[in-house]
Amino acid sequence: MAAILGLIIGVVVGIFLKPTIPVELQPYLPIMVVAALDALLGAARSYFERNFNDRVFVISFITNVLIATLLVFLGNQLGVGSQLTTAVIVVLGIRIFSNASAIRRFIFRG
Amino acid sequence: MASGKSPLHSLRRQNTKDQVNDNTMTGSFPVVRKKPLKSHHSMGAKLLTSCMVALLCAMLGFGYVTQQRNMQSSYASLSETELVRLLDETNTQVSQLESQKLKLESQLQSIQSAADKQKEVERIAKENEVTSGILSGRLPAQGEGVEITITQNSEHVDSSTMFNLLEELRNAGAEVIQIDNVRVVTSTSFVDTDNGLICDGETLSQPYQILAIGDSNALQNAVEIAGGVGARLRAQLKAGVDVEQKDMVKITKVRPTREYKYAKTVE
Repeated sequence: MAAILGLIIGVVVGIFLKPTIPVELQPYLPIMVVAALDALLGAARSYFERNFNDRVFVISFITNVLIATLLVFLGNQLGVGSQLTTAVIVVLGIRIFSNASAIRRFIFRG
Repeated sequence: MASGKSPLHSLRRQNTKDQVNDNTMTGSFPVVRKKPLKSHHSMGAKLLTSCMVALLCAMLGFGYVTQQRNMQSSYASLSETELVRLLDETNTQVSQLESQKLKLESQLQSIQSAADKQKEVERIAKENEVTSGILSGRLPAQGEGVEITITQNSEHVDSSTMFNLLEELRNAGAEVIQIDNVRVVTSTSFVDTDNGLICDGETLSQPYQILAIGDSNALQNAVEIAGGVGARLRAQLKAGVDVEQKDMVKITKVRPTREYKYAKTVE
């Protein structure tokens, strides 16, 4: 409930504030968003598995975003930023897919 | 007893061993916990964590919208190869547009020169029209000139004298000449009769009034020059000749254009 409410509030604030992101943050924002999405889907899966824990969710969310950002930052430092971004996106994508399929199984099996 | 008891005992032991060995739970499959982990937090901590969840989700939504907005307006998120491709495309587009522009410019230039030529032709045609109109007597004319009045006394002013006067005026640069009510053109002729001169089929009334447009000084000189046509008129024919310079002579008589029957312009 809180998650859905927060999502709606965030989207509305983003639409009405029309923020301009700083240049140094620009390469990290998409990664952050994807990592957060992964954390959110993981939370949804655990919710369906009836072992959702909000503390675990908060920590996994923050660490997911931080690790993804750090990886891309490291890649930028080493000159392989775009490749590492792709790698992170691929891994997170796979995780999102597996989480989504788990959720689907819970929904359609009843 | 002991030997009778011993096989039963070993059988039992064997049975327990088999049960352990026949266990299908390998431990490699994840075991779903029966009971969910009950959190025994206080009410305040629960509120705090749900607030955190809401905040994080809000951040996610905010970041998503921001990134989406940002994507629409900048090339910052494109990779190097994409940028290079975009640049190449833009370059080819620019060169194409450039060549198109050149083509259109040359087209415009040719059209403009054609229009200029057309305008020039029109201007010349108009000029010619005016010139030839004045020359052929089709158009009325005005300008600096002289007015000559010849009063006939005892002697008749004959056609040759009149013709001489005309020629003198023409030599002096008269551009348009009118005698009484007759516009003088190239085909103008004089005929002597008993009642006076007939010019182009019209009897001239006396005194003869001649209007000429041209350099007024030169025209006056042409008539008044010693031994000229003016002197001849005065001396031999005893006619009164009066030459008056005018700033503005208006010749309003016109001639209809002549239809040429045989002559045609050379193409």
